[in-house]
Amino acid sequence: MELVLMDNLWVIIGTFLVLLMLGGFILLEAGSTRMKNAGHIAGKTIFTAGIGSLVFWAVGYGFIYGDGNWFIGLGNFFYGDASFSGEGLSPAVDFMFQMMFALVALTIAFGGFAERAKLSAYVIFAVLFSALIYPVVAHWIWGGGWLADHGKQDFAGSTVVHLTGAMAALAATIVLKPRIGKYNKDGSSNDIAGHNQVFTALGVLLLWVGWFGFNGASTFGVADAFFGFAILNTQLAAAAGAVAAMLVAWALTGKADVPTTLNGALAGLVAITAPAGFVNPWAAVVIGMIGGVIVVYSMKMFDKAKIDDPIFALSVHGTVGVWGTLANGLFAVPAFSTDIGWGQAGLFYGGGFTQLGVQAMGVVTSGLYAFIVAFIILKVMDKVMGGIRVTEEEEIIGLDMSEHGGYGYPENIPHPNDKQGA
Amino acid sequence: MNSYAEIFRWRKQQIIEVSMNHQQLNELHDEIIEKTVELAMEKVQSELGSPPAPFAFFLMGSAGRFEQSVWSDQDHGIIFDGSNSCQFYFLTLGTEITNGLAEVGYERCDGLVMSSNPNWCQSIAGWKTQLVDWLNEASWKSLRHFSTFFDSRVLVGEVSFLTELKTEVFQVLRQQPSLYLRLVENVDFIKKGIGVFGQLLPELHGENTGTIQLKQTAFFPYVNALRLLALKDEMFEPSTISRFKELSFDAYPSIKSYQDNFIELLDFRLYFKKEAKNYQEVHLIHLDSLTKEDKQKLKQLMKKGYKLFSETKTIMEKECSTWS
Repeated sequence: MELVLMDNLWVIIGTFLVLLMLGGFILLEAGSTRMKNAGHIAGKTIFTAGIGSLVFWAVGYGFIYGDGNWFIGLGNFFYGDASFSGEGLSPAVDFMFQMMFALVALTIAFGGFAERAKLSAYVIFAVLFSALIYPVVAHWIWGGGWLADHGKQDFAGSTVVHLTGAMAALAATIVLKPRIGKYNKDGSSNDIAGHNQVFTALGVLLLWVGWFGFNGASTFGVADAFFGFAILNTQLAAAAGAVAAMLVAWALTGKADVPTTLNGALAGLVAITAPAGFVNPWAAVVIGMIGGVIVVYSMKMFDKAKIDDPIFALSVHGTVGVWGTLANGLFAVPAFSTDIGWGQAGLFYGGGFTQLGVQAMGVVTSGLYAFIVAFIILKVMDKVMGGIRVTEEEEIIGLDMSEHGGYGYPENIPHPNDKQGA
Repeated sequence: MNSYAEIFRWRKQQIIEVSMNHQQLNELHDEIIEKTVELAMEKVQSELGSPPAPFAFFLMGSAGRFEQSVWSDQDHGIIFDGSNSCQFYFLTLGTEITNGLAEVGYERCDGLVMSSNPNWCQSIAGWKTQLVDWLNEASWKSLRHFSTFFDSRVLVGEVSFLTELKTEVFQVLRQQPSLYLRLVENVDFIKKGIGVFGQLLPELHGENTGTIQLKQTAFFPYVNALRLLALKDEMFEPSTISRFKELSFDAYPSIKSYQDNFIELLDFRLYFKKEAKNYQEVHLIHLDSLTKEDKQKLKQLMKKGYKLFSETKTIMEKECSTWS
């Protein structure tokens, strides 16, 4: 088979794998939250993936890759045809792969909505995030925008996908405020345990496999079978993250906490997303391990700051997304950076602070943009929609019932009309 | 004193004076409970007449072990020497005692280990059958009941009834030494109080965030270890200190060395919790209330407890291997 067709085939396989990550998110988020919201979480993920896809097709892709300026792309709206020049990726393959990243970022952002936002808030925010937030950051770094000009390295999207999604999630958790029963009057927090750790673990595993497409297909081709190297780094970082998080949780609290271990694996994956194609395997282990440690402390920090993050999206995708991006500035080797004209080598490889500086600038500007715009959008939505949070009664009966009219586990939840006794 | 309210008022006056002395505090508790039981007996007598059979009212739990702090919950039972037809009378008495104790400041037991419960208010024959059943069943729950029963002493009535029951228990255990191992397993899980870095492990969530659960993390290892040894050496004494004292130095030189640590632990709790407002508070120590030295002390006492339990386990396992 011609190499170019194999490139296309590989990237479309990556596309499928990344789309399956949404299945991972469904299990992860549903398992980490309460039973009364499980159906809602599963359903809204599919529904908002639909909205995100249509918006990405209409304007998202154009804002990223259309000819434009330093800030935003303009063109290629309502994208798609059957053309293929015979070189590189076919436009449709490239478009599909890019779309999946937008959907993942959107799903991460919705982690901050969990268990208390109105369904209508999901609908509107899905449109605005997919049009105004994600594409702008993606344009800056991947679409030829101003950060790309500085040589910002983000192999598969620690910043573009994870940090952007997490900053929107942060804005949402702040606007929505903590769930009922999360914090006590004296300021102490309660553990609102998820209803199914097996779902959460399977969600993590599905995401882990999906990440092979996320990072592996970000090579955009099969030349030199470099995808194998990116996947190797991905595996090592995830493994190191899981092990590190469990050990840290065990050492700090005396309990080998399962949710923390699972978040450690995800932290390893998020951390290696930016450096996957830039660093050596030993560095991938270190990056994943540090990701696994950081995520534990980050979860504690947000909890203390009274920011209720039900599925730990802020820590896993935000804090660790920052770390992953900065890690490039430390560990990027010349062979995969300077020598191929993609930024500079990291601090530990004689590149000095240049690349670290570029990475830091990328994190700060992208993070700020995503947070500020998401915060403004949500505040305006809050005003216009008469609140984006469900009522206390609705939150208590669960979003399955209040937003969809039926429970995800109908047998396990008493129906209000069930008569007790005579 | 003619009313529970009066006893409660008296308790409040008296307890301040003895709250720093373990021995005096527990003597006072005994006195309060005894007065309450006597008042309850008078009340029931005025309604149902004199008791239809001789009986013993006995204490279990921390009261049984003479290890109460300023606040404590109820754990008690009744043994009567009569037919089952007497049970109604003693259950009525048990219920009156339970209500009375609640009024004078002893919380009702969540697990219903109270003489108002038919399982804990039986004839001598009924008790014997139940104890043998508990041991033969050897389930997690039945052995918990058994261990609760075993830390007991008679406060009012015939002391010999309880001695008779314990003698019966020792006989069963002698015949089935494998039960010792089940009893060890039953209390083998100890809530960790110290982490790998040697740090204290407080509660991380909820209203009690930042507190140490003294009962589970510090007291249980000592109490459970000495109960196991008491069962093996057939001691009738319920208190951990008297069990320590009764152990022969020649047989257990190392175990004896932990006695002072346990006394220190009792004092530690009294010192920090003398102003506790209720039973829940008695066992919770907030990390912020401890100085660096206090924390060191507490950690040392916890570590000693874990070592004591581990040594006890080895002793029990060794003994059992020689029997089988």
